[in-house]
Amino acid sequence: MTKKIVLIVAVVSCLARAGEVRAQTPAPAEPAASAAQAAPSAVALTDADLKAAVKPTDRANGDPDGALTGTANDIAISDAKAGLTLTDVLNQIGANRIGVNFGWTLLCGFLIMFMQAGFAVVEAGLCRAKNANHTMMMNFMVYGVGMLAYFLIGFPLQMGGAGAIANLGGTPVLNSEFAVHLFGKDIGLFGNTGYLLMHHGTYDVAVMVIFLFQMVFMDTTTTIVTGTCCERWKYSAFMVSTMFLGAFTYPIFANWAWGGGWLAMLGANFGLGHGYADFAGSGVVHSVGGITALACAFILGPRIGKFTRDGKPNAIPGHDIMWVLCGCFILAFGWFGFNPGSTLALSGNGGLRAASVAVNTMLAGMTGSFGGILYMWIRYGKPDASMSGNAFLAGLVAITSPSGFVNPVAAAVIGLVAGVLVCVSCEFVERILKVDDPVGAISVHGTNGIWGVIAVGLFSDGRSNYGGSWNGVAGNVTGLFYGDAGQLVAQLMGVATLLGFVFVMSFVLNLFVDWFVGQRVSAQSELDGLDVPEMGAVAYPDFVLRTEPTPVG
Amino acid sequence: MTLAGLAVTFLGFVIAFISLGVTSSTGGRMGMVLVGIVVSLVGIMGVITPAYQKKWIWKK
Repeated sequence: MTKKIVLIVAVVSCLARAGEVRAQTPAPAEPAASAAQAAPSAVALTDADLKAAVKPTDRANGDPDGALTGTANDIAISDAKAGLTLTDVLNQIGANRIGVNFGWTLLCGFLIMFMQAGFAVVEAGLCRAKNANHTMMMNFMVYGVGMLAYFLIGFPLQMGGAGAIANLGGTPVLNSEFAVHLFGKDIGLFGNTGYLLMHHGTYDVAVMVIFLFQMVFMDTTTTIVTGTCCERWKYSAFMVSTMFLGAFTYPIFANWAWGGGWLAMLGANFGLGHGYADFAGSGVVHSVGGITALACAFILGPRIGKFTRDGKPNAIPGHDIMWVLCGCFILAFGWFGFNPGSTLALSGNGGLRAASVAVNTMLAGMTGSFGGILYMWIRYGKPDASMSGNAFLAGLVAITSPSGFVNPVAAAVIGLVAGVLVCVSCEFVERILKVDDPVGAISVHGTNGIWGVIAVGLFSDGRSNYGGSWNGVAGNVTGLFYGDAGQLVAQLMGVATLLGFVFVMSFVLNLFVDWFVGQRVSAQSELDGLDVPEMGAVAYPDFVLRTEPTPVG
Repeated sequence: MTLAGLAVTFLGFVIAFISLGVTSSTGGRMGMVLVGIVVSLVGIMGVITPAYQKKWIWKK
């Protein structure tokens, strides 16, 4: 009996090892002639090829388990006389790949669009009840105003020279980048085609997908500013300022980073890593929004009562912390469109890395909220709710740029640092700069956006491969800790551009708005609350609002 | 003062940008870019901030 068992075990072991060897043996390379035969041609498939295909009659009784649905019968036939050909099959495979990528990118764009609701309730919750209608209306119209500006001017400036996007089936019509020749290289400054989505053949399905996806990114930027400026921003000034941001400030920097501009080409032109790498926009979206918010906050000044005459800050609590934290969850949900969707693909060119990007996003949000809670608990004795929400968002902002290039441990570290950093930054902005930021957007998006950009240059592990190259440089994005100091320089160049160029551009544009429209409401309107003077109706007509106390002086 | 602050802030960007033409070494470029970032921060925090604090409503 024992001998039999030993014999059986030996046979099973041998079979298992043989299977293991077979599994590890690479498949033999296809001969060249075979590869040539695979090229599209009008080779008719035979009856033998299709004998196993499901016939329409097989579904006479329905298909409850789905096994009979989606078969060779569903492949589009280009020529009914020739029947199903190999060309039809190959075209269907290509259409499926691009269809998957279109569907993924569009769906993620829809998720990002819903982030507007998250921003709206976070910002409205953090302002006082007397300004809730005004704050919600800014968040509501930022969608329309920003989109109009982007449709008319912004998109061509940003993406007009982006070139072909392979994951979306190619966008060769986006081929016009205005550049100047400096330091022996072409320095791309802005795109110049795609006006009204009709110019030079841009009435194209792939262009439509990239427009939708990029438009909702731009709208996220514009809605960051409304949080910092709420409770004192004249509505007309908000609309003009948002128009400038959507038409010029955001698209210019986004072109430099994503549209084939000079920052993206730092690697190809100047040997700095893979050029400025910003996977989903810590810099392009969040820092641009946060830095513009800082510029606007300088011009607007703080709310009445925020600081005493000797500069000591007073706390002005928001009116609904439940909306604030609920909004944070809406934003976190939308972030799964923001970051994983930035692969622009699930099929081909590293699209499956969307799974890693999604997990990195989750982890950084989690460690961010932990970092913020622990900081506040240790420093002030209580886990502050609004700062916990902001720390959650800070982790998500910080991982936005590195999410496509780092491993999960690095993502957790980046989020943890962001959670602490946002608390320190909020204190610095309020106590040292004495800038009034009711929702903490400058710290959440500006400071942590910059941290995310730098984190790419530190933590990128060289394991992400999106079709073999990034920004036209072969190989994978690798940070300083994995051996490429040049990548860190490229990232720091992006930070210098954000601080030195984007801030100045935003400031100048908003100075114009201040001179021609006037940025700030009257003191009386501010004390009464902006809902009635600016919007004509209060948000909560059945509520009795608290009388504004006399400013402390 | 505001315009001076904007000029200093923009100067930081210019310093970082011209590093691309001044040197080809990674270390040299990193040094210049870091100097540019510091100059821009000085422009924002050291010049623009005090200039605007004087105008703010709680100072009046």
